Amino acid sequence: MAASRGLVLLRTAAGNLPWLAPLRRLFWAQTAPAASLLRLQHPLLRVFSTEADPATPAEPVAFDTESRFKEKPWEYLETEEYIERYGEKPVWFGYRRNHKGAIPPQKTRKTCIRGKKIAGNPCPVCRDQKLHLDYRNVKLLEQFICSHTGVTFHPTHTGVCMKQYKRLTQAIDKARDHGLLSFRIPWVTLQDEDYSNQHQAVAKTPPAPSLQSQAPWYSWYEWQQPPEKDIARIRKIYKNYLKEETGPA
Amino acid sequence: MAALGAPRCLWRCAAAPLGLPRAGRALAGSRGHGQDAGSEADKKESHATKPCFTDEAVQSLLYKMTGLDLQKIFRPLKQELKPPTYKLMTESELAEATRKAIQEAKELLKMSPVLSEREPIDDVLAEDRILEGTETAKYVFTDITYSTPHRERFIVVREPTGVLRKATWEERDRMIQVYFPREGRKLVPPPIFKDENLLTVFREDRHEDILNLCIAQFEPDSANYIRVHHRTYDDIDKHAKYHLLRSTRHFGGMVWYLVNRKKTDGLLIDMIQRNLMDDATCLVSLYHILHPDCQSAKAAKDQVLHGVDLIKVFMKTESNRIGYIELALQAYQEALASSAAL
Repeated sequence: MAASRGLVLLRTAAGNLPWLAPLRRLFWAQTAPAASLLRLQHPLLRVFSTEADPATPAEPVAFDTESRFKEKPWEYLETEEYIERYGEKPVWFGYRRNHKGAIPPQKTRKTCIRGKKIAGNPCPVCRDQKLHLDYRNVKLLEQFICSHTGVTFHPTHTGVCMKQYKRLTQAIDKARDHGLLSFRIPWVTLQDEDYSNQHQAVAKTPPAPSLQSQAPWYSWYEWQQPPEKDIARIRKIYKNYLKEETGPA
Repeated sequence: MAALGAPRCLWRCAAAPLGLPRAGRALAGSRGHGQDAGSEADKKESHATKPCFTDEAVQSLLYKMTGLDLQKIFRPLKQELKPPTYKLMTESELAEATRKAIQEAKELLKMSPVLSEREPIDDVLAEDRILEGTETAKYVFTDITYSTPHRERFIVVREPTGVLRKATWEERDRMIQVYFPREGRKLVPPPIFKDENLLTVFREDRHEDILNLCIAQFEPDSANYIRVHHRTYDDIDKHAKYHLLRSTRHFGGMVWYLVNRKKTDGLLIDMIQRNLMDDATCLVSLYHILHPDCQSAKAAKDQVLHGVDLIKVFMKTESNRIGYIELALQAYQEALASSAAL
């Protein structure tokens, strides 16, 4: 899991460079509260041990923050943690893409997280697992829309990966559809149309006589007794093959 | 069309006389000015029957009440920014530019039609029971001739039971949007028009936006259009937010709705508080046109009242919130007196 990988990296980094241990806010690792708890519990013993970490290090079980913010993603934007980390600036402020040369590629990376592996320098949305792009947390979505023009920022401007950008545009469209985000309404003038609804296509047509009288639509839908002459003629032709007389079915 | 076959030509002569009894309602609904036969019939009927939204007198009163605030109509919208342009003009050029702006504003303030709800279509054209069990889905046949008006387009549905029927209004709107897409209209109406989401929109004071969206999405005689408009007007009346719609094309429709339901008190108070005496008198006269049998209408006709006296008579006989209107009138008259003294 991304959480475990972050914790492992944090622990080994802290082990290698003891002076980094107090530095809590490493940009690329999520600041899970349980990480600091673990460091406090086993400050020195773990650092100098050569044995590999156990298969599944303890996940942050106590708070279960991810599912809490999944239900109500807007609550995270009011927590102290968020304000401490981002302040008043948007979540993508200060993020810098790593690329060769002066001009960045016009498309950001396809996705930061492939299966269990996280890319180095993840994008602003992927690096903070508590940020959920949901159509209901309007405050987060508004950070990605220009307040002057109403246009969504290009991913090269904000640094988000293409997968998150797609989810972001879907969330913005859904929020606009539900009336949570305001946007510029296209101006539609109603042409002078005839609204009298008198043309046959939309007015009441009287039903066909056979429908009204409950008669069958085609006469042959119901059994039509053939004329006696024809019955007699056919009986005469097949006289030798007739079985016992049975009435018409 | 081949699908309808021979029986249709038998019905054409049967269908024509049926059109006449509906003329009164249908023509009342159509948009027309002066020259059309429809509004002439309206003028003849207006003495006997209720006056219509499209009457000249009613329209002129509504336009006067809507106002013409150029600053609001041409306010800057959120869009792609480009550097501003500056023009040096003489006084006459400025007057000419203002005149053109007023002309364009009048075009933008053209009111959308107010119609009664359309009657549902449920006509069966044929019943071919032999087709039962052959198909599992409905087939919709749409006439896509480019030149036919959408209201004259034939759209029929063949059900899996073999019944050939005319498409309902919702199906019609959907198919026409598929083949002739209109800008701003979606195939499926967005959930913003549901009642719970409308409340969210009203809380943010975006009544004009939702009404513009409604005009883009629905036909003027559809149930959804009427419902959304009525909800919006009710909310505005409840919170006295009349100023949001002033100088927009929706103000006329709102006033028509309120006057028809005799909920004019809030609007009257708002007008007096904003010192719009002419608008207040227009409102009262519109009320008298629509309800000629009420007391204040008869009193006004007998005594030929104008201005504040008209409002006072109206207030005493028709309104529910006499106290508030009296207070507002008092404040207005005091302000008038003090400004005259100055």
